[in-house]
Amino acid sequence: MAIIQAILDGLMIGGVYAVISIGLTLVFGVMGIVNFAQAEFLMLGMFVAYYAWAWLGLDPLLAAPLAFAVVFVLGALVHQVMIRRVLKAPAVAQIFLTVGLLIVLENAALLMFGSSFRSVSTPYQTSALQLGSLFISVPYLLAFLMSVASGAALWLFMRTSWFGRAMRATAQDPMAARLLGINADAMHRLAFALGVALTAFGGAVILPYLTVSPTVGGQFVVLMFTVVVLGGLGSVAGAVVGGLSVGVIQSLSALAFPIQLQNLVLFVVFIGVLALRPEGLLGGSR
Amino acid sequence: MILGMTSRKAVFVAVVLAIALVLPFTIDPRGYTIRILCLMLLFAAMGQAWNIVGGLANQMSLGHAAFFGIGAYTSTLLLIHFGISPWIGMIAAGIFGGVAAFVISLPTMRLRGHYFALATLAFGEVMRVIGNSWSSLTGGPVGVSVPFAKPSLAMFQFKDTLPYYFLMLAALIVVTIIFVAIQRSRIGYRLQAIKENVDAAEVIGVDTTRTKIFAAVVSGVLMGCLGTFYAQFQYFFDPDTVFGVASISVRVAMIAIVGGIGTAIGPILGAMFVIPMEELANQAFSAQAAGLAQLVFGALLIVVILVEPRGFVEFGRRMVRRFRKGASR
Repeated sequence: MAIIQAILDGLMIGGVYAVISIGLTLVFGVMGIVNFAQAEFLMLGMFVAYYAWAWLGLDPLLAAPLAFAVVFVLGALVHQVMIRRVLKAPAVAQIFLTVGLLIVLENAALLMFGSSFRSVSTPYQTSALQLGSLFISVPYLLAFLMSVASGAALWLFMRTSWFGRAMRATAQDPMAARLLGINADAMHRLAFALGVALTAFGGAVILPYLTVSPTVGGQFVVLMFTVVVLGGLGSVAGAVVGGLSVGVIQSLSALAFPIQLQNLVLFVVFIGVLALRPEGLLGGSR
Repeated sequence: MILGMTSRKAVFVAVVLAIALVLPFTIDPRGYTIRILCLMLLFAAMGQAWNIVGGLANQMSLGHAAFFGIGAYTSTLLLIHFGISPWIGMIAAGIFGGVAAFVISLPTMRLRGHYFALATLAFGEVMRVIGNSWSSLTGGPVGVSVPFAKPSLAMFQFKDTLPYYFLMLAALIVVTIIFVAIQRSRIGYRLQAIKENVDAAEVIGVDTTRTKIFAAVVSGVLMGCLGTFYAQFQYFFDPDTVFGVASISVRVAMIAIVGGIGTAIGPILGAMFVIPMEELANQAFSAQAAGLAQLVFGALLIVVILVEPRGFVEFGRRMVRRFRKGASR
């Protein structure tokens, strides 16, 4: 029973992992850039939601669209000022630019918000639904549902809207997209802003069951990359499979190992996938 | 030609060495400045060790803290538990650093660019987690102190900072010589072929995996040894410092990149700029706000990448070219 409970919990948190990692994989899929600073946008999303709660009394779940909007604008700016300039640069420039961005964002947050850990209190924080002998934590469930909703919205956007199609065209062949009158630069900006904003959205919905501090991103770096590598870097469907798998792996490993070693289990999975199937479990389907 | 250098280069190296040898006698041997100089030399050596993997093989490692931290812990724990001299501990540190580099290289060496950076980043992070959670061995998050011994060369402990300065200088020279030796060897040319085009290198018969593993292991051994230097110099360290992403892994890479990635002088120039700059930022800002110095560090990295990702060396060459063009006009 404990195992079924762990799998259930794992799927719940895994849904959130999927959404925050879709942002990362989207940026890579469209622009070919691995954003090492992605987890810092998760942290910013958490802070937006926290202050929306502290100042306006807004529930973090309702503040999630606000976190999305704020980080979307910030992401567009970051792309305009920095990312755009290294799109054709060698990997070393791309890697260390986003690493620099990671350091800047983390320490800017430290300066603005201080190093203390903050959390919100919501009426449903400790409640759980009972299903036979299984329990579903309400904050997990709500975060999961919000993630599913945002993932579905993104899917619809990418499938049906002109922007979504133009973005996918740019990802496939920027040159051909340009010939068809698509502004590839604008599509890159949109992809980057959308990617980091989606991650920030995920940050807001997990705030009811986590604490936020400027260094919270560090906990998610290896996790997010494990998710996207598991699913295949650049594949959105892969990120969903990867997110759910990582959630389940994490909560199953919590049964067997002390909490500090959870990251170790993730790492073994991560290296194993990189070594054996670098194109991800689903194969090269982008 | 002297030792394979053009005579102009040889004169330049001799002058720089002479300055490096005389400089410490002009400042307070127990003061603050000489400590900064020591750190500068140490980090230059670390940047140079990274440069073997990052610069010659073009493999962007973000996990060099792993080998460094393993080295620092190896010699210190041997000293604490068995009273073994740090010099012997350093040999063990180098061996463990090299073994760790070999072990992580096996599954990751075929990875390219971003994937390699990700894998090494994760490896460094995992070493940090292990360092923090395996308390019975490492002492956990509180860190370890190097036990005091009677100051002597044999125990790698001194009253003044001056002897450390010369040891760090020697370390930098040794690492730089190893870097140049590899660069000019057959392996260096293979590495260059890999850097230009891995697939083409494979086709002309370069065993790319073996060559890259060789570079990684040499780099890991050197990082492990330098970990011992750091431990003996600082007397105290914790897992978050020696296994840190920003404090070690990114910093050593940044030192090489800022100076000029893949060049022997690059990490030296980089350390001469980055370490004093950080100290100044720390002095100026840390009283007011934690994080500002780090913020400056990150911003600097961004600026360098955007302005000239090939670092000072290339920037200097560009300036010289422009100057010559202007003069001939």
